[in-house]
Amino acid sequence: MFHNSSQGKFWIFKSEDEVEQKRYKANQKVRNKIIESGKPGVSESKLLEHHEEDVLFRHYEKRMLDFCNAFKPVMPKSVVGTAIMYFRRFYLNNSIMEHHPRIIMLTCAYLSCKVDEFNVSSTQFVGNLLQETPAGQERVLEQILEYELLLIQQLKFHLVVHNPYRPMEGLLIDLKTRFPTLENPESLRKNADDFLTQAAMTDAGLLFPPSQIALTAILNSASRAGLSMESYLNECLGLKEDKETLSKMYESMSRMKTLKKYELPKAEEVNAYKKKLDRIHAEFSSSSNKRKRGYEEDGHVAKEARLTEEEWTDEDLV
Amino acid sequence: MDDQGCPRCKTTKYRNPSLKLMVNVCGHTLCENCVEMLFARGSGNCVQCDTPLRKSNFRVQLFEDPTVDKEVEIRKKVLKIYNKRDFDFPSLRDYNDFLEKVEDVVYNLTNNIDVENTKLRMEQYQRENRDLIQRNKVKLTREQEDLEELLLLEQQGNDQRRLELLQEEQRQLQTKRKNKQALLDELEQSQLPATILLAQHKVRAANLETQIEQQKQVVKPTNLFSTGIHMRQTVSLQPVPKIEEVLYLYKPLRVETYGPSVPELEHLGRLGYLNHVRAAMPQDTAGGYTSALACHRAVQDAFSGMFLLKR
Repeated sequence: MFHNSSQGKFWIFKSEDEVEQKRYKANQKVRNKIIESGKPGVSESKLLEHHEEDVLFRHYEKRMLDFCNAFKPVMPKSVVGTAIMYFRRFYLNNSIMEHHPRIIMLTCAYLSCKVDEFNVSSTQFVGNLLQETPAGQERVLEQILEYELLLIQQLKFHLVVHNPYRPMEGLLIDLKTRFPTLENPESLRKNADDFLTQAAMTDAGLLFPPSQIALTAILNSASRAGLSMESYLNECLGLKEDKETLSKMYESMSRMKTLKKYELPKAEEVNAYKKKLDRIHAEFSSSSNKRKRGYEEDGHVAKEARLTEEEWTDEDLV
Repeated sequence: MDDQGCPRCKTTKYRNPSLKLMVNVCGHTLCENCVEMLFARGSGNCVQCDTPLRKSNFRVQLFEDPTVDKEVEIRKKVLKIYNKRDFDFPSLRDYNDFLEKVEDVVYNLTNNIDVENTKLRMEQYQRENRDLIQRNKVKLTREQEDLEELLLLEQQGNDQRRLELLQEEQRQLQTKRKNKQALLDELEQSQLPATILLAQHKVRAANLETQIEQQKQVVKPTNLFSTGIHMRQTVSLQPVPKIEEVLYLYKPLRVETYGPSVPELEHLGRLGYLNHVRAAMPQDTAGGYTSALACHRAVQDAFSGMFLLKR
């Protein structure tokens, strides 16, 4: 359950600022490392800034979502949610410049299928990369398998992710049972679902417990439909006496809603940053990856440079 | 035993499974033929370790590993000397210490560690406890004699029973044969019609059967249990000492869920939750699944961590 899970203990942070700080620090660390490595042709302008990384992150997140939605057989929502959470957690402590997101995102999806017991063989998985030849798919699979251990390590081996979908179901059941004032809770389902999908693309999963996210989704959807759920909160959830907790809950919910300022990144920006990123990876990552395979400093599992990385581009995804 | 070969002639063991391996005091094996050949003069040196050996010291190997045989021999000799019994010691601890000493001696002698010292210790012990050893030896032999007597008695009893059974069977066969013969004679000589004779014969055979059954049922009365305790003898048992301890107090497990309380699994049906969950199909219930399980999990997840605020 969430209350004694690793997610509750290690992956819920106090505020959005803390989360942003972490990302900023990861970005700075890699920037300094590349500059200090003293390679010729290095200049500050060639490296990605924090906000540029952000744009790219959101772009790749969207691509991962599209990939998962077009997946055959149909991927359950919890698997998609887990994959997005892995992606987000990974890039909390790592920078995009060090590990290219297109591989990481496939690895996240692959790992998420395994963890959530959505049984897909590896060949079937890469078979969903429709633009590739079977040989290309093989190569992608090899890369995924290489990065898998690194991903698990950066997730600190905390692989169980609690998504808000089941809490939402639970709340709907509870509403139907204990809150007869509301005639048709099913009508709230669609809007709540949309809210949850949008929330998955924000940092809500890193800041709030999934039950709170689900509750916010339902309350939001109810207020959209013009229904009041105050009495539910007071009576059924037993918060009538506990005014303090009640107010805190309202506060969290409003914070969550403000988080949802999700904008799709602009295409030109994305392209510009992507070029930068590819150049960075071609120049700098190959040098750092020439180490031998094995466990090295910082506990990173080093990867060998793969020339085949050039051949596979972003357009090969759906 | 086939995986071992005689270290000297090597092949002969495999070709001749009836050939026995002999072990000596140094722990090395030789097959019978090789023993004959090497120790024709009565004494010689071991093939592998070159210790001087005598032919008489060779014994047929009982165990697969010759070191085990060696240890068994050494142990027999050691125990002849260190033969104190458990009632010779004031406490269990002392008896255990003594046993450990014995094991140390046996171990040292088997693995050729510190042999002189160990032998010296043995001799010293022997000198100090000469009478005790003698007394224990006598006691041991007496006990062994008793055991042997009992074994003999048991054996005799078994043999007698077997004999009786055989005799019984013989008698039964004979009576059956006589019966048949009598029937044939009567058929020849008597004036009565055949059917009546047959009927008579059948009755007689049935009576015989019941008689045999009854004999088998008879249990020989005895007044002795197999362990030697007489029947109707009261055996007094010591009362078990009563141990007083602190009573265990059960405290139910409390888990902090940071959320409203979830109704128990058993109450979900009564509270009406199950009306809003998909009912379990017959295939699912076969495995023990009930819709309450899914419902309970969903509600638990919905309430877990709801009031948790990290600031």
